[in-house]
Amino acid sequence: MGTVWAVIKREYLQRVRTRWFVIATIGAPILFLGLIAAPALFGGDVDEVDRTLAVVDHTGVLYDGLAARLDAGDFIVEPAPGDNLSALDARVEEGELGGYLVLDQATLTRGDVIFATAQQPSALRALSLQQAVAQTAVEVRLGGDRADVEALLRGGNLDVRLAAGAAGGVGVEDPRFLVAYVGAFILYMTLLFYAVAVMRSVLEEKTSRIVEVVLSSMRPFQLMLGKILGVGAVGLTQFAIWIGFVTLVALTGLPALVMNQPDLLSMESIQAFVPGLGLPALFVLFFLGGYFIYSGLFAAVGAMCNSDEEAQQAQFPVIMLLVVPIIFVAGVIQSPTEPLSVGLSFVPFFTPILMFARVAVGGAAPWEIAVSVVLMAVMVLAVAWVAGRIYRVGILMAGKRPTLPELLRWIREA
Amino acid sequence: MTSSAIRLTGVTKRFGKHTAVDAFDFEVPEGSIYGLLGPNGSGKTTTIRMIMGILLPDEGRVELFGSDPGETRRRRVGYLPEERGLYRKMKALDVLVFLGEIRGLKPSDARGRALSWLDRLGLSEWATTAVQDLSKGMQQKIQFVATVLHEPGLLILDEPFSGLDPINQDLLEEIVRDLHSKGTTILFSTHLMDQAERLCERVCLISQARKVLDGDLREIKRRERRGVVAVGFEGDDGWLRSPEILSQEAVGDALHLLLAEGTDPQIILRRCLEAGVEVHRFERVEPRLHEIFVRHAGTEAATGGGGLPRGRVATASAPGRGGF
Repeated sequence: MGTVWAVIKREYLQRVRTRWFVIATIGAPILFLGLIAAPALFGGDVDEVDRTLAVVDHTGVLYDGLAARLDAGDFIVEPAPGDNLSALDARVEEGELGGYLVLDQATLTRGDVIFATAQQPSALRALSLQQAVAQTAVEVRLGGDRADVEALLRGGNLDVRLAAGAAGGVGVEDPRFLVAYVGAFILYMTLLFYAVAVMRSVLEEKTSRIVEVVLSSMRPFQLMLGKILGVGAVGLTQFAIWIGFVTLVALTGLPALVMNQPDLLSMESIQAFVPGLGLPALFVLFFLGGYFIYSGLFAAVGAMCNSDEEAQQAQFPVIMLLVVPIIFVAGVIQSPTEPLSVGLSFVPFFTPILMFARVAVGGAAPWEIAVSVVLMAVMVLAVAWVAGRIYRVGILMAGKRPTLPELLRWIREA
Repeated sequence: MTSSAIRLTGVTKRFGKHTAVDAFDFEVPEGSIYGLLGPNGSGKTTTIRMIMGILLPDEGRVELFGSDPGETRRRRVGYLPEERGLYRKMKALDVLVFLGEIRGLKPSDARGRALSWLDRLGLSEWATTAVQDLSKGMQQKIQFVATVLHEPGLLILDEPFSGLDPINQDLLEEIVRDLHSKGTTILFSTHLMDQAERLCERVCLISQARKVLDGDLREIKRRERRGVVAVGFEGDDGWLRSPEILSQEAVGDALHLLLAEGTDPQIILRRCLEAGVEVHRFERVEPRLHEIFVRHAGTEAATGGGGLPRGRVATASAPGRGGF
């Protein structure tokens, strides 16, 4: 055990001390935070002048409704007479006014509107003006309550009533969709990243020939095991740091963010982001299962190659195994109880990503999770057996890469 | 009676149709310094890899220190493989500590020993430099330190001198002698006969997967004395073309003739006189290891593998220039 421990320690320390680890571990959450904060930074027009708009209403019926809408959207609105546009132009040029809208008959019939302003408006600004005008036009022509019209335009609630016993999927707007999708993607990326790291490490030992010295002191399987555990521990460390970071942000930053941007994050979506302990625990479990499967396969690939270029080609089939669930994940999230979704999620190579996605959207029964985890564990052992044999023969083998029949012979005879 | 550090009994290894090592019996007594000699491709590295458990023999038995080798037993061995390498991105000291640890040293012990070795080899200031930033010579020294760090009772060195400059060759030779004088058993393979001749007490010659000669070097030489004669003559060299003379080589001002097994030097002398050349020197000389090897393995084995410098074995076209 002492030797395996030494291998684990070497793999772990060598990786954690590198620059990329610090960058990826600290950089990724900062990027994540940036993505959350970006709309808050760019969304609102901070400058008061930019928010001040004049409205010239030739129709005489649109001003009140539009003013109310723009007011709610944080604009400062003033009415303006239609006979002196050059005065308005002058105010825009002098920077007293963010711009002015001219509403006429075409606005009422088609929603067309002129927006005179000093500079090209941002897409968001243009869209909010366009929508406010269109909604007002519809409201005026339709009559009725403002909120009703808005709901109508946005598309009303689709109240889904499922038949008894059926578990539903979730749509794009449901926060659980985001959790499932982001979680599945993080699984995909980290599994690929760390399994490939194992392959590179195997290849480095093989091409530098140090493996012969190392293997004179331990069995090949001990070396492979130590390597996989050491690299895996780096992955878990990274998760721990990320989870700690997210918790920290949730405790300090998130409430502030919610106060500034109440629309961005409702209380419901916060609850979706901070689910119970069950989902993160399953996430780690699926990561570990997937990692043991894929790192074993990648270790075998590394052992049968003699150069990075060869490994690039040889790893292709294994990478395909990882890509399949990513191709299906969106479909699985939307219909987690479809036979195809269920079937795929039971294939141990796909279980980590697809079963996680099903669980995240509440589309998997506990027994299904249990069965998939057991199947995954069986596959871990099978891969360890097969990969261990390929590794044992391949790691000391120079010369050309084995063909498939040769590979099968390695497995049989090792 | 001394016990043996290594004992191979009938060890055979095949790669497909090719037999790399054929029914090999071999014993290295404890405390000896043993040379495993042969041209490249003769099976030296395969034999060593089987001793180290990296390859498993198809037939036969390998024993280390008197019983079946396991990882624990192999940890008492210091192994320097023919193809060397280190973790390029690790610091020199870290590599040494790691390699010490996997052979059962405590990290702190490994560190202390590594530092004192680095000091001895004048590498102290490079301890925290990444291996890839060290010169090739330094890397080879580090590699050697890694081999002896855990104070193994048995050192197995596969072509330890290849690729070293003369200064480092001498340094390594000195360290090997030093370890041997402290009781370490040493087995090393080489195709450099002169090196083996200087260092070894015992040698084993192998050629084309088979053992051709094995035993105490001095005894072998004594036994083989009949095999080489030095002649100096003037005149036509046509008489040298005879089946009894395996090869000829100019050594100093004489010509060393390597005689086929069982050839009486008197026959050669007679033939020489019959040829009517003027002989001014004819004596039996102690053969060099190289000549012994050629005599037993044949010229084709010695040169065929490409391991021996070809120029060393003179061909029949060498003129019979005798010295004065």
